[in-house]
Amino acid sequence: MRVGFQLLYQLVLGFFATIGFAVYFYAPIDSVLATGLAGGLSWVLYYIVLNITNDKIIGTFLGAFLVGILGEFLAIKMKKPATVFITPGIVSLVPGAGMYYTMLHLVQKDYTQAAITGSETLFIAAAIAMGIIVSTIFSKSLRFIKNKHS
Amino acid sequence: MNHFTINNNDEVKKLMALAINSGETLLRNGAEAYRVEDTMERICNSRENIFNANSFVTQTGIFLTFEYENQSYVNFKRVRDTAINLEKISEVNDFSRKFVCTKISLDEGLNIISKINKIKTHTKLEKAIFGAASAAFFTLMFGGNLRDFFASYIASYFVISIMNITNEFKLTFFIDNFLGAFLASLFASISIKIGLGTNLDKIIIGSIMYLVPGVAITNAIRDTMNGDSLSGLSKGMEAILSALAIAFGVWVILAIYI
Repeated sequence: MRVGFQLLYQLVLGFFATIGFAVYFYAPIDSVLATGLAGGLSWVLYYIVLNITNDKIIGTFLGAFLVGILGEFLAIKMKKPATVFITPGIVSLVPGAGMYYTMLHLVQKDYTQAAITGSETLFIAAAIAMGIIVSTIFSKSLRFIKNKHS
Repeated sequence: MNHFTINNNDEVKKLMALAINSGETLLRNGAEAYRVEDTMERICNSRENIFNANSFVTQTGIFLTFEYENQSYVNFKRVRDTAINLEKISEVNDFSRKFVCTKISLDEGLNIISKINKIKTHTKLEKAIFGAASAAFFTLMFGGNLRDFFASYIASYFVISIMNITNEFKLTFFIDNFLGAFLASLFASISIKIGLGTNLDKIIIGSIMYLVPGVAITNAIRDTMNGDSLSGLSKGMEAILSALAIAFGVWVILAIYI
């Protein structure tokens, strides 16, 4: 029961954070709610995976993959390019804090810590990019199979 | 008259202007390099007697060339100050799809593009309200409490409002980010001083979330993985320097505060 409440709480947080960013990025107004849901769901997935495996990179990858799949789905449903959904959707996963900490360690002359957080940040960013690319390829191949059969 | 062919030199110039303008609109509003290249090539190739349309896009400029009656035409546009605007990307995307498969004349197309460029989407007030809300929710996501939530909301609301004014002066992205981070951490430390917030670092990270180039670094890696290495490199460089500017801005306050 408490786990369920915690997940719902995280979903709400991710939902509103993504909506805020969607408006900040001037997303078309009719796409904002759907984007918020995609962002919230991917944040929850990231949260679950992070708590089970304690690995940020695999969690980020799966979260970005989910955003990509939902983005491609919504793109077909609402007839808009997938970027409209993907760009605000990944914001909750994006390593903004990591980048900030890396540079903060650098200006504080703590070079070892900067190297540790910096490389982790780079891997997280790469994981997001990988997740989106894999989801794009996945949905393209699904469409290909569908077209072949019909 | 068939709208799907180009008839004279005048129309060639218009087609070039149309393709370059739509590419510029896309790039200026934060589209990926491959989307810009693809859109421009599609617009040119949709007219039957245009051959060998080729484009090359980096973060800072677009090149486009095509052949018409054995003569090649080249144009190039320098693009400065990009900001993300998803509505415009979506509109240009819609337009290019329509242009390729229906009879929209070139003049009409140029009109539509300039209209898209003038779209007023949200007011600055709305931007500040929603940007501050997402900053406050990020403070919660990073583990802040309810008091930090309000501190972060107020701090980032002021920062976005001030940034909206300073954006008019067209400072470079480095100064913009430095100023934003400086103000965010200034307001955050004030909120601690007057007893509203409790965790300084959580408030600061939440409030600089819309400055931090997380999306930019991800897009840079996406571009590089797509094979657009030059665009990826310039985006990545800009992202790293923005993060540095933000860190400087925060550090100035932290050095005084601690």
